[in-house]
This record gives sequence, structure tokens and C-alpha cells, in this order.
Amino acid sequence: MLYIIFYFQIHQPLRINKYKIFDINKKTDYFDETLNQHIFNKVAEKCYIPANKLFKNLVEISEGRFRISFSITGTFIEQAKKYRPDVHESFLELIKTGAIELINETYYHSLASIFDWEEFLEQVELHKNLIEKEFGMIPTVFRNTELIYFDKLSDILLNLPYIKTILIEGADKILKGSSPLYPRVSYNYGHILLLKHYRLSDDIAFRFSDKSWKEYPLTAEKYISWIKKLSLTEKEGKNLYLNLFMDYETFGEHQWKESGIFEFIKKMVELLLKEKNISFLLPSEVNYTLNYTPKTLFVPEPTSWADIERDLSAWLSNSLQWNAMKTCYELLKRAKEKNKKELINILRNLTTSDHFYYMCIKYFQDGDVHKYFSPYSSPEEVYRYYMNILSDIEERLEE
Amino acid sequence: MKVLMLTWEYPPFIVGGLGIACHGLFKALAEKGIKIYMILPTKEKVFFEIFSPLSADYPVAKMWNKKQIEPVPLKFYEFHYLEPESAYFSPPIKLLEKKIEIPKLSPKEISEVPIEILERINFILSQNDHLFLNVKTYTENVMEISEKIDFDLIHSHDWLTYPAGLFLKKYFKVPLITHIHATEFDRALGYGHPVIHEIEYLGLNGAERVIAVSNYTANIIKEHYKVPEEKIRVVYNAFFTETIPKKIKKFKEPVILFLGRLTIQKGPRIFLELAKKIIEGYHKKIRFLIAGAGEMERELMLEAASLGIGTQIMFTGFLTRTEVESALSMSDIVVMPSASEPFGIVALEAMYFGCALIVSKQSGVSEIIENAYKVDFWDIEKMAKIVIELLENSEKLKNLQIKAQEEVKNFKWSDRAEKIISIYQELFN
Repeated sequence: MLYIIFYFQIHQPLRINKYKIFDINKKTDYFDETLNQHIFNKVAEKCYIPANKLFKNLVEISEGRFRISFSITGTFIEQAKKYRPDVHESFLELIKTGAIELINETYYHSLASIFDWEEFLEQVELHKNLIEKEFGMIPTVFRNTELIYFDKLSDILLNLPYIKTILIEGADKILKGSSPLYPRVSYNYGHILLLKHYRLSDDIAFRFSDKSWKEYPLTAEKYISWIKKLSLTEKEGKNLYLNLFMDYETFGEHQWKESGIFEFIKKMVELLLKEKNISFLLPSEVNYTLNYTPKTLFVPEPTSWADIERDLSAWLSNSLQWNAMKTCYELLKRAKEKNKKELINILRNLTTSDHFYYMCIKYFQDGDVHKYFSPYSSPEEVYRYYMNILSDIEERLEE
Repeated sequence: MKVLMLTWEYPPFIVGGLGIACHGLFKALAEKGIKIYMILPTKEKVFFEIFSPLSADYPVAKMWNKKQIEPVPLKFYEFHYLEPESAYFSPPIKLLEKKIEIPKLSPKEISEVPIEILERINFILSQNDHLFLNVKTYTENVMEISEKIDFDLIHSHDWLTYPAGLFLKKYFKVPLITHIHATEFDRALGYGHPVIHEIEYLGLNGAERVIAVSNYTANIIKEHYKVPEEKIRVVYNAFFTETIPKKIKKFKEPVILFLGRLTIQKGPRIFLELAKKIIEGYHKKIRFLIAGAGEMERELMLEAASLGIGTQIMFTGFLTRTEVESALSMSDIVVMPSASEPFGIVALEAMYFGCALIVSKQSGVSEIIENAYKVDFWDIEKMAKIVIELLENSEKLKNLQIKAQEEVKNFKWSDRAEKIISIYQELFN
């Protein structure tokens, strides 16, 4: 059997204001409400509303055989409730079908796992509580921000015994030639690891509308023929798990509706539902369907799904990012010591990985992607605003 | 006396000190009865009459045919030229062949501008380079606009306007004064652009008088451009603002400020080294502000951040005039470590806003100010010692700030204007 596991990341950061040095001690509106609302509305129209509608429809026509998993960040849910209650409602409706699994992550979509483990666990629990409160589910699957994973992370997560499974990037450097279709077990035997099939995932997420790609245009038939080829190599009757992980915004935002992405995914799901040896699965169901003992996987260095390097370099490759992040966590620690609740919340929103993504100065190709997602004109610009905000908070902490 | 002023910058279009100096100077000249016609690199062919101090603050455009168009303030004009479409085949600037009307004032002898020099300028400005083509467009526009303006003298500021000055002089047979606010040697620290050097050379030597903003600059043009000493007059800059200076306490810690473009000339890297040295060797927390924009921003920022000292070294990015004044108001000490600074108006601004001041000896302003520390631009050791001494001794710091604020009142544009008028008068019978 070949199982297809769809997992979509749903996140919007709280982008910061153009906070000038002269605003220090004067203003405390650190986040750009107008911009955040504008972007949320835009993406809601292009992606969330139509995509939810499509997937709900697919769940219904398949009578629940089509199933997908989401991880929805806390910063997303807060903004949905504030700016677009209809979007929040539409997710609720979709989740009520029972075909959706919700995955646990850090509430603030942060890199706390790299800087501060205590904070990391707190953010993961905050998110778990939110999922429980909002949707009545207790997650058993975890994904770290941008699929960041390393051996120690599994150790830390043993503190949260409800977590059984972790989603990670099927990076070449950790798989070393072996297939991402077989689930693995973490080096401490604590968690099942599901590996993203990055080629087939990125064919949809990144290359779908790329006219210079030799497979353009990608049809559902062609894509399914690639999926079918995958199972040919398996001779021992082991179940295979094809993990297609991507941003939810792939549907309608990164790939516009004019590209035919909605028609593509609909057709593909409809065709796959007819296949005997292929079915859709939720990440938590891997435990019950595994018909062999998974092998151990060692990941000494952090991997992620970002950029060509699949490491931390999208958020931590230059000193601006490093100094900004380090200072933020230091202040967060101080705010907790002094129990300044308002500042703790603000600083946590500043731990969101997107702020550091905008500060990235890598080479051209990836830089392009970073630029596309950044609302600021340069990494230097956002660094200035970010550090000004931290300075103001620093002053407020000493009050 | 009617003066045609050619300048590339004027508030609110300011890149460096040139625009600020022109504003202060023109205003003072207008107050003393000099009639100024100013031509800027505006996209539209307009000039600005400055006949009163008020019109110096808010210049209003006139069309070249003198018909007053709607009084559009300067700030609404699009400033820099677009690249001409015919960039590759741009024809040479034409010298109009009209007969010359005799100006009302009769000048003393005016040196002849050889036609070869104009041909040479035509040639070097016609290369496919954005900046040079802008200079060429400006020169052409000035030729066209000035035909209908009645003036006795051309006063041309910095190399960008020198070609226009030389063409006009040839055509109208009126005296030319070239004012040098900065040379290519200062900007580039040594080898600069050969074409810019050449235009500076031609402009300075083709003028009746050269006004240098300091002895420092006078020496550079004597030595490097072979300008004869008897032609050179030194007129320092001054400083004026309507803002009433006050101190703002933004941070609990003392603030040390660098203010200027982030280019090698202004020495921001030296400031960063100074910050490092002080942070290493001093036990109390201090804030360092690096204020300004420029091509070195990224490398400076990366280096400052790599020290991992959080918010101790901060960058402001580009600042408007009001923001510059706010930055000065919140600072205790200003360091101007320019490697080569013809004048350095920042120093006077800093004094006005009550900041203690450390300036490099390689600056024009250090020739006239007393209540400031003067240090070789490379002597980080000594600068660090001074900063720490001032921080440790608040009495001394306060004292220096007060004295500086007092001293800066002596540097008045009206005095500079008088000096300039006397230079104008040298040229006429």
C-alpha cells in the first residue's frame, strides 16, 4: 500500500511597524496592523476561503477517504479571529468533517528550539492548549517551525509525552540516498519521524507554474504516474508513506488560481481515490499501519525545509539575524523574570521566524524568494526597526 | 548685483552638506540685496528667483521665459533627470551663436575660455554614463534657461555645475566664480574618477575666482589642481536653523553619535572601531548611534551585529532634516572622524544642539572652532580616551557642551555673505 500524507502549514506573522529610533519611549505600536490586516485579507481571498471550500468538497465526495493534516499557528488564529471571522469559521467547518488532523507546533512559529528550550516547550504547550480550546483536539503529531529537526529536539520533546510523531524534511544530507517513503524512528527511539518527499512536494509547491521547468505544464495524470512509479521499487510488501508537505498558501497565493492549481489538486485527488493501492492517511495513523520496524535516523545538525541548503541559514546565516534573535531571547528571559506579561507576549510575537527571514542576505536565487515574502525594502531596513523595537522594550523592562 | 547660482542640491533635495550650505549662503546674500537666480537639476526647465530671505526658504519656480507659472514650491518638483532616450547618440552641447548683450555691470578682464575646453567637456560628458549624461542635460538646460535671465555673474557650486558655468561664461562673457565644497580627492580618498578630476581642474582654473570652504581645501586645490593662489579665497561655512535647541533623554545611557553619509570619506568604520574599543574597555553601558545612509551600511551593520551586543550600536538609516536635529538633540557626544572633510557642517550643528564634539584634524571646520577636541582621523586610541574622560567627568562634559553652544553663535552666514560680496566686487570696475 502507498499512503499519501498531505500536510499543510498555515501561518501569518505579525509583521513589525516601521518603527524609527525616534519612536523609542514614545510609541508602543510595534506591529503593523494595517499591513497585517491587508495581507491577511488578500491571502484569505486568494487562498484560505477557496482552498477550504475545495478541500471540504473533496472530503465530502470521498466520504472521508480524502484526509489532510494542518498545522495552524497561534499568530494565524489570532489574526483570523480579529480580521476575518469568516476565515476562522471556514476552518472550523472543514475541521468538523473529521477528516482533518491538527498538528502541534510552536504557538509563535519561532526558532525557540535553537535558542531557549524552556521557552520552546512553553510555546509548544501554548499551541497545544490553543488547539484544544479552539478545535477540541489533542494533537499527537508535532512539526517544528519550518520542519527544523535535530536529534536533541526529539530528546526535548520527550518532556511532552503526548507527542508520538514528528514531521521532518527528507533532506538528502540526512537520508544519504535512502528513501523518504519509509518512516523512521528518532535516534532515542522516542518518536516516529515522517520525512517530506521534497521532490514531489516542491513540484507542486514551487515548480507548478514555472514555465521554464521541463515538466511544465504539470497535469494530474502525469503527477499520478510519478507517484505510481514510487511503489515499483518495493518488493517486500512494506507499506510506503508519501509525505507531501507544503505551505497551505501554495493554493492560490504562491501558485495563483490562474495557474490551474485548484483544478490540478481536485483532479489529482479524484483520480487517486480510484486507485486500489493508494490511499490517503493522517500522520497519526502511521503508527497503526506500519507493517515493519522502522530504522533509526540520526540527525546531528539541524535540518529544515527552507532554501537550497535545508538548514537554518534562512534565519541564522548573518550577524544581523543572529544579534537580533539573541537579543530578543535575552529580553524575553528578563521579561519572564520580572513577570511583565504584556512584554512577554510582545517579545514572543517577535520570536516569529519571519522577522529573521526578512533579514536574510543570501545569494541571488534564494534571496529572490526571501525578497518576494518580505514587506520591507532591504534586510538592513527591517533590522533597524526590529532593533529599535527591542531597545524600547529594553527601556520598558528597566522601569 | 544679479548672480546666476548653479547648484545641484537645495533643500528639500539634500544629499550632503552642499544643499545646506547653499541655503544658508543664498539666504544671507538675498538679505544683503543680491538678486539670485538659481538653476537646479529639476526635470522641468525652470529657475528660481531668490530676492528675499523668505524666498530662500521657499523658492518658487519660474519658467525660463519669465512667465510666472503657478507658484509651485520647489519641493513638488521631480528632481533628478531621467536618462535621455538618445543616450547613445547624444549630440554635443551647442554653443548658441547669438550676439552678446553687454551686461549692465562692466566686469574687469575676463579670461577667455578656449573652445577646445568646451569641446573636451562635450566629449567626456557624452559617454554612456548616467551621472555624466545628467550633467550634460543640466548644462543644456542651463544654456536654454539662462538666455532669458539678466545676470552679472555666474556662481557655480561643485563640479556637477562647472561645465554649465564654463559654457555660460563663454557665451555671455560674464565672470565665473567656482565654489568648491568638496573635491574628488575627499570623496574618493585618493584616486577618484579621472573625468571628475578633469572637470574640477577645468572649472577651477577657468574661473575668475575660486571660493574654497577652508584652508584645508584651498591647499588641496593648490596642490592637486594647480590653481594659482591669487585666485583662491577662503570662505568658511556657517550654520543656521530656526529650531530652538533642546536636549531629549531617549536612553538612560549616554549617547555617542556619528552623523553623515556612510561612505569611506566620512569615516564610519573608524567610528565603529571606536565604539568597539570603548565597549571593550569601559564598564558602563553606552549607546552608539550611526546615523545616515550610504553604500557602507551593510558591511558596518554586519560587523556591528557580529559583536553580539544587542542594541548598543544602533543604525538609523536615512534621516530627514527634522530627524537629523532630533538625533543631535538626543546625543551627548558627536564624533566626526572624516578622513578628508573640506568643511564639515555637522560639527557646527552638533555644537548648536549642545553636543560635545570630537573632530578629525583633516577637516576644514577644525580650523575655526575652539571648543572641540581635534584628533587625527586614524587616532582611535586618543578618541576613546577623550570619550571615556568626558563620560567619567560629567562636569567637564557639560562645560564643553555649553561652551560649544556659545561658540557656534559666532559662525554667521551674514558674515560669510559679506565676504562673498566683497569677492564679487573684486571682479567689477
